[in-house]
Amino acid sequence: MTDLLANLALGFQVAAHPANLGFCLLGALVGTLVGVLPGIGTVATVAMLLPITFGLPPVGALIMLAGIYYGAQYGGSTTSILVNIPGEATSVVTCLDGHQMARQGRAGAALSISAIGSFFAGCVSTVLVAALGAPLTSLALLFGPAEYFSLMALGLIFAVVLAKGSVLKSVAMVLTGLLLSMVGSDLETGAGRMTFDIAELSDGIGFTNVAMGLFGFAEIIRNLEMSQESREIVQSKIKGLMPTRQDLIDSSGAIARGTILGSILGILPGGGAVVASFAAYTFEKRISKNPERFGRGAIQGVAAPESANNAAAQTSFIPLLTLGIPPNAVMALMVGAMTIHGIVPGPQVMTKQPELFWGMIASMWLGNLMLVIINLPLVGVWVSLLRVPYRLLYPSIIVFCCIGIYSINNSPTDVVIAAIFGLFGYWLVKHDFEPAPLVLAFVLGPLMEENLRRAMLIARGDATVFMTRPISAGLILVALFMLALAMLPMIRKRREEVFVESEN
Amino acid sequence: MSEGAKTSPKGGGFQFKVRGPRDFYGGLALIALGIIAILASGELPGQHGFAFGPGTAPRMFATLLAIVGALVSVSGLFIDGPKIEAFAIRGPAYVLVAILLFAGMIRGIDLRIIGIPFTVPPLGLVLSTFAAFIVSIMGSTEMRWVESLIAAVAMTAFCIGLFVYLLQLPFQLWPL
Repeated sequence: MTDLLANLALGFQVAAHPANLGFCLLGALVGTLVGVLPGIGTVATVAMLLPITFGLPPVGALIMLAGIYYGAQYGGSTTSILVNIPGEATSVVTCLDGHQMARQGRAGAALSISAIGSFFAGCVSTVLVAALGAPLTSLALLFGPAEYFSLMALGLIFAVVLAKGSVLKSVAMVLTGLLLSMVGSDLETGAGRMTFDIAELSDGIGFTNVAMGLFGFAEIIRNLEMSQESREIVQSKIKGLMPTRQDLIDSSGAIARGTILGSILGILPGGGAVVASFAAYTFEKRISKNPERFGRGAIQGVAAPESANNAAAQTSFIPLLTLGIPPNAVMALMVGAMTIHGIVPGPQVMTKQPELFWGMIASMWLGNLMLVIINLPLVGVWVSLLRVPYRLLYPSIIVFCCIGIYSINNSPTDVVIAAIFGLFGYWLVKHDFEPAPLVLAFVLGPLMEENLRRAMLIARGDATVFMTRPISAGLILVALFMLALAMLPMIRKRREEVFVESEN
Repeated sequence: MSEGAKTSPKGGGFQFKVRGPRDFYGGLALIALGIIAILASGELPGQHGFAFGPGTAPRMFATLLAIVGALVSVSGLFIDGPKIEAFAIRGPAYVLVAILLFAGMIRGIDLRIIGIPFTVPPLGLVLSTFAAFIVSIMGSTEMRWVESLIAAVAMTAFCIGLFVYLLQLPFQLWPL
């Protein structure tokens, strides 16, 4: 306990350094700025803004990225409430009651409850991250290559199970991501793999190119198709930003339950925040005395999912910081950023770079505080941003992404590669393939292969090593169980569909 | 994407029908990707003794991808699914051209690699950004010239302020 306090004190010392405070603030601001833009989700926001953090010192860069992440999420909720366009899956449920509240002239209350709920969740989960960090790190030290491989396999299976749509297609995306990560020089022998003799590919496909292409460019191209006239912004002036006493009393239970649910679900690898907000909303509706109010502007329907997704967003840092394994696509982007700064994510970060580890944790709390302080007064600014027509917005995002990608290596080829991934991403959407498992697998690929090769070498080529070592076997069994669980209802449902079809 | 394979009869009076075209063609493309990867990594040395060679893992995952692709494809044959939405051409084409233009202009490019005897000199960040903005905005059906030009100038100025002055990244601003 004293350790925890000492560590947190160290963290706050780092995070409260004026430069780091500045990065945190800047991250939260630009994150919200981009996150507010309709149709641009959290992952896309973080991917787009990655390059601007690369020039900073490592601690500052990660603090800023974390700020961008919370900002983007908060911006997404703002858009959901005011325009009824969810930037991404986590905000879908916020739309349901949040937009109804806005239409009833209670946009201010919805926005402030969402901020307060997020802040409360942020406080709780920051402490949780700090408390769980140390024990999990010592657990990680027991892991050998076989356990790491199994753990990553479990993480990918979770991503598959929690992804929208078909399990089979998500598996296909994971395999595609693993395959793409193998392009370039082999780690051990240096042999060029699948490079097609293109010199630029010998270093592998840059992770930012993949992320920007699949999330940035592809999303723009897809949004271009949709009619932009359907946007319906709440026009009336937002008044009464502070929630009433009754609002606070009504939502306090929902905030607490959302926080608990979100914190637990966030630690699990896979879709964390998305599942959390859905689960919290459903739970709240189920235990409510008057469930019929949900969908008609119930404040609990905003408070619960917003607290849950923020709690999950934070606790999803736990597997990343302690085990070095990103549980979702945003954390995969964080790994990419860490690698570019020469930090190998994993248990050694905490022992070797305590100021980075604890600084980041403390900055999570500060970031949440800043969101409450800066965003509520700035709601007017965000609203006016929502009025910028899309025809001006998308070229801006395109050139911003181009410059960002180019700036990383001063390489025009990277820009072209990202464009190719943009088209690929567009094609994926048309065929209902989810890009998130692909990116996660792309980041985990090199680590997974390295551990697989090491495990096999140590076991003298015996593949049963993954089942004979107890921790590894346990992880694999959980993974298989999850997969089976996900496949069963799918098969049953599909069969029902077939039956319905044959009756017609 | 062809969706024409709906009712092409196959021998023996068996009706061949693609029920879920998204899955069917998506799966086929994944099979192709898997096969390309297998071919591309075919020359790499595989397992020797207990150790994986550089080619082992790529071939393993490529084979798995082809298998899963086949399963996706087969499920598209038997399970009803939505049609493939039409691919928009205009918007993506302009966006693509804008991105390629940026990549070609910023450091210059020798167009002889695509058979045009002309070398684009390095044109620098300002012109590349401006050009990419204008071309990508032309993809919109609602484009207006005056507004677009003003926005292009503003965005170029913003990017230069951010990347060059605030982030201090080394960029060549103007043509050499």
